[in-house]
Amino acid sequence: MATPKEMMTTWDKIQPGAVLPSFEDPEKKIRSKFNSYNYKVADWRVEKPVFNRDLCIDCDFCWVSCPDSCFIVEEVENKRGKKQAKIVGINYNLCKGCAVCVEVCPTPIKSLLMFPEFVDNDEALKQWPKKD
Amino acid sequence: MAERYELKQKEVWDGNMAASHALRQAQVDVVAAYPITPSTPIVQNYAQFLADGYVDGEFVMVESEHSAMSACVGASAAGGRVATATSSQGYALMVEVLYQASGMRLPIVMTVVNRALASPLNIHGDHGDLYLGRDAGWIHLIANNPQEAYDMTLCAFKIAENEKVRLPVTTNQDGFLVSHTAQVVEPLDDDTAYKFIGDYKAMNPMLDTKNPQTYGAQTEEEWHFEFKASQHKALMESPAVIDEVFAEFEKLTGRKYNRVETYKLDDADVALVVMGSAYETAMVAVDKAREEGIKAGLIMPRSFRPFPYNEIAEKLKNVKAVAALDRSAPMGAMGALYNEVSGALAANGQSSIMTNYIYGLGGRDTTAQHILEVIKETEKNAKAGKRVTDLQGFINLRGPKLSFN
Amino acid sequence: MLQIRWHSRAGQGAVTGAKALADVMARTGKYVQAYSVYGAEKRGAPMTAYDKIDDNPILDHSKWMTPDYVLVIDPSLVFQEEIVDNTTDDTVFIVTSHMSKEDLLSIAKHLQGKKLYVIDAIKISQEEIGRAIPNTPMLGAFIKVSEIIPFEDFLVSIEDILSKFPKKIIEGNLRAIKRAYEEVK
Repeated sequence: MATPKEMMTTWDKIQPGAVLPSFEDPEKKIRSKFNSYNYKVADWRVEKPVFNRDLCIDCDFCWVSCPDSCFIVEEVENKRGKKQAKIVGINYNLCKGCAVCVEVCPTPIKSLLMFPEFVDNDEALKQWPKKD
Repeated sequence: MAERYELKQKEVWDGNMAASHALRQAQVDVVAAYPITPSTPIVQNYAQFLADGYVDGEFVMVESEHSAMSACVGASAAGGRVATATSSQGYALMVEVLYQASGMRLPIVMTVVNRALASPLNIHGDHGDLYLGRDAGWIHLIANNPQEAYDMTLCAFKIAENEKVRLPVTTNQDGFLVSHTAQVVEPLDDDTAYKFIGDYKAMNPMLDTKNPQTYGAQTEEEWHFEFKASQHKALMESPAVIDEVFAEFEKLTGRKYNRVETYKLDDADVALVVMGSAYETAMVAVDKAREEGIKAGLIMPRSFRPFPYNEIAEKLKNVKAVAALDRSAPMGAMGALYNEVSGALAANGQSSIMTNYIYGLGGRDTTAQHILEVIKETEKNAKAGKRVTDLQGFINLRGPKLSFN
Repeated sequence: MLQIRWHSRAGQGAVTGAKALADVMARTGKYVQAYSVYGAEKRGAPMTAYDKIDDNPILDHSKWMTPDYVLVIDPSLVFQEEIVDNTTDDTVFIVTSHMSKEDLLSIAKHLQGKKLYVIDAIKISQEEIGRAIPNTPMLGAFIKVSEIIPFEDFLVSIEDILSKFPKKIIEGNLRAIKRAYEEVK
């Protein structure tokens, strides 16, 4: 079972009423291994989206569509001095690999593509399809 | 006309699938349900059968279990065959209407998947909900595996709708241990199953507008007692019908069910009373005990209500020590099985040494080894000729030994 | 009694896989039990499923078992030490990984000295079925390693069990099973 031994309290030592302290120091709190606090949705991912900055047109479709708010955005100024959002990367702790971003990406050669989890991102960028 | 579902001679079904196929084959007129874990798949599968054209009846979606049972009461009084499914908290919310259903003598069938009652919240199996409904005036049948969940549900309709009974029936299976465990089930084909149950015969249907009826009228002290007594009499006399239905079922399928099930009890010195999936696990333990030279046996009430007092006493006549295993928190008393069996023995002037064990609350695993230890403890009582172990013990509880005397 | 434990993440199809295997074995006249240990699980949470297969009706309803086979269908769970719980030296492990057996053993030290087979069930299911549902390829690998029934008989049964799905999915699954049968090492 996933519960650590030190958490398996006996009947004579349990907190009556199954009451849990709400404001315990989160760093010191003992949790079962699969408690959601220790647990990222990313663990489940078998394929990851890789982002190709060179092809991106900053349409923000991926940012709008992502169900887990994974896209990291920077505020930049464009040529006319206007503030604009720039997609700079993906937070892989949040991404569960649903591939919605790849689906909505509108550039002629996609600037987001799915690769197996174990492929290095730089390696993935080298494998990117070319215009022909 | 509903389409026939093609079934193989042997299917691999979990308890939920078995129960939903039995409901489908009964061609229920109205199912009103509010799904709850672990009985959700019964309702889900049934809705799928309906959507696929295998069922002619109506499926009513409601906003709570209280409404689910209320809709069942309405539909049953209107004159239709009615069924539903629930578990745990849903069962608890239904309780008020369970009493109404039995008081109005409505033959509703409810497939219950037993689950612990909160708090602490728990979705796994124990008999907390079954014990909660034990005085509600329903017949409660117990199934130990998916095959029995299927068989009991078919029998439930026939028992409930018998004109001598006309009482609601629950079929009980352990949450997850039976409901989500796929095993080999030998179903009947649709026509044979329906023919076994038979067409629904309405009694005093409200939809018969030429003979207007009132159901559940107010009675107060001049009438209430008489109604309740007549209801109790129907329940006390239902064993004759249950036996009849079980006999007919045996003729059809070769599978024999009894109101009191026993295993290796004939020459036993030590007997365990167990109900539910643990009865089968206990069979493994009894075999092990017998290898070690302990004459152990098992007994189980297949119908928890009506409780087979005299039959159990008769079967336990030569047993020296009995341990009743209850899968429900007893809360200030001995477990229900201990009380019923002790009462049955006392009423017949028998004096086997009785002890009580609480096991498997909230789905806690109970292995054959655990039960073997209980058999060994109980044998000490049999050998001593008096009670030398504690009155109430706990099986597979973490921590120092907890027991009561 | 043959006992099998599946390790998977909720949503990857271990329960379906365990039930399909039980169904296949029941068709050969065996008695089976297929169940899983449930928490209040969400998709992606680690979970286990179980198969028991025997010549006699299976009466024991306890969840505890000493598995003869451990099937791990999620590549990250291979590194969880829980997968060796309650196993013996004879327990056979079939795990999903893109790595070779040697590379895997150098990282997953808890599997050293165990009877280990490796299959890239994720890649196979992605390529043949179009989704990362690695349960049916694992079945193919299991049949190869265990030789529990002839592969041809297995294919006939599994095709029938899958028959409720669209033709494309059935064909994809059958291709995945055959590939896994060939590729397991």
